[in-house]
Amino acid sequence: MFGEGLLKKRQIKEVLALYSGRLMLIFINALALLIFCGLLLKAQPILQTISISDLLFSSSWHPMKNEFGLFVFIVSTLEVTMLAMIIAVPVCLLAAIYLSEYASRHFREFARFIIDILAGIPSVVYGLCGVLVIVPLVGTIGELAGVSTTGYSLLAGGLVLAVMVIPFIISITVEVLRMVPEPIRECALALGATKWETIKYVVLKKAKRGIMAAVVLGFARAFGETMAVLMVVGNVALLPSSVFDPAYPLPALIANNYGEVMSIPLYDAALMSAALILMLVVALFSLTAHYTLLRIGETIER
Amino acid sequence: MAASADKKVSIEGTIRVSGAWALYPMMIKWAEEFKKIYPQVRIDVSAGGAGKGVTDALTGLVDIGMVSRELRPEEIRQKAFYVSVVKDAVFPTINSGNPVMKELSQKGLKKKFMQDMWVTGREMTWGELTGVNNNQKIRVYTRSDSCGAAETWAKYLGAKQEDLKGVAVYGDPGVAQAVRKDKTSLGYNNLNYAYDMKTGQPQSGLQVVPVDVNENGRVDSGEKLRTKKEAIKAILSGIYPSPPARDLYLVTKDSLRGASKVFVQWILSDGQKYVEEVGYLKLSARQIKEALNKTGK
Repeated sequence: MFGEGLLKKRQIKEVLALYSGRLMLIFINALALLIFCGLLLKAQPILQTISISDLLFSSSWHPMKNEFGLFVFIVSTLEVTMLAMIIAVPVCLLAAIYLSEYASRHFREFARFIIDILAGIPSVVYGLCGVLVIVPLVGTIGELAGVSTTGYSLLAGGLVLAVMVIPFIISITVEVLRMVPEPIRECALALGATKWETIKYVVLKKAKRGIMAAVVLGFARAFGETMAVLMVVGNVALLPSSVFDPAYPLPALIANNYGEVMSIPLYDAALMSAALILMLVVALFSLTAHYTLLRIGETIER
Repeated sequence: MAASADKKVSIEGTIRVSGAWALYPMMIKWAEEFKKIYPQVRIDVSAGGAGKGVTDALTGLVDIGMVSRELRPEEIRQKAFYVSVVKDAVFPTINSGNPVMKELSQKGLKKKFMQDMWVTGREMTWGELTGVNNNQKIRVYTRSDSCGAAETWAKYLGAKQEDLKGVAVYGDPGVAQAVRKDKTSLGYNNLNYAYDMKTGQPQSGLQVVPVDVNENGRVDSGEKLRTKKEAIKAILSGIYPSPPARDLYLVTKDSLRGASKVFVQWILSDGQKYVEEVGYLKLSARQIKEALNKTGK
């Protein structure tokens, strides 16, 4: 009798846990969908007034004259992100290899701790450091290269962004490298490979997919980074012709002009469409990353 | 509930304020002094540009928005209630290590040249501007956030903020920092970001360029802007034009209520005695009276 009551309780708890968990999951997934639909709805007015090709491929941005071409902003976003990745990926890869393969466990834990702190620094703080350090630095580099630059440029944006995504990519890459089973390394070493050869031909080969996924996740994160980039990138709506020219990424556009939404009817819709484009791109990247991450397990098993 | 300067009403709660960088230092001071009288009131002040101030106030995100430009018809149509509280102005600023400093302070800047640089986007050298031999390009800066300073500056040059050319930097302190770092720079700043509040001299690393208002090719005594004192004199005498001199407003949705109402009425009465000390210009007695009437006093 007593046992039965207890059983009942346990069963109820079981059911409760299952359903509440499921509900939360549905809620979270619905949220993503809701945001997407909301943006789509809000962007409607602009899609009705100008053609999609104008919105995506026209470079003329004059909201007061009802010209809403997002091309410059889209290109700037891609360029800043690419540049950041070109700077960050080699650094991350080498640091992660060191942490995973060469460093002692103690040191790895310590470095992890530091990297976590770096990952937690607010964007505005990175932006401030960017204005105080990176912008003048880029100005100096430009002078040495014989280019006239204010320092507020694509390169400054890329550098700040690189610093911001580095901790993120390193953590994931170390995780992935640690997932490679120890016996495989031992085999390679037993066959007379040096440590570096083992890493290059065995570990990295096994972990290739996971590293790709880490990079893509970093990408997705870099894509939407607003404040720090906005503070150093120069925000000029012209196609940059070199890395020393100012650029104007989408998130910066949205953040800067949020205040003007009130006074120009289509502005709101234009900014929402910018947000929509941003969201779609990030979703695409994340999906790709997930897809590859899911398959890592399989490759490592093989 | 009407508040008067001599009779204290009991109010409590939080007043949230956001918006124009131009009003930010003044608002901080007002908030401090007001809290001494009403310790149960909390005032949160944040800056982010006039555009943010209007939008936040109209969407109910904050109780009071700070705005440093004229309100637009669309905003008034959305039931923006606004009162002017103080005056200031926007000034052209250069790096204190500028190569043609001496000639600039004698000849001043002509409006035509500023229109060339900020609106037409013509590339000029400092030599061209002052007629001396110098071929360093002028690097023009503007604001990235939607703000009253840029809007006022653009209005003075006959344009809109979106038409202003140059590298766009976030916030008033941002522009000051950019100009400070770049010897060949030309920017514009609000009164209290161009001059140091304590000393009344231009901020370290910056110089304010006098504007040759009457275009006679030299800076007359009324046009001088070497110190904050001179700048304020130039605004008050009407020699420094308006815009770039302008009123600064507080905005709210519909009408002022509760603690915000007491706060704004205090700003327009007792709060006025801190205006000059922080370094702004008082409105005329008539304007103050009108503003107070508007708040229902």
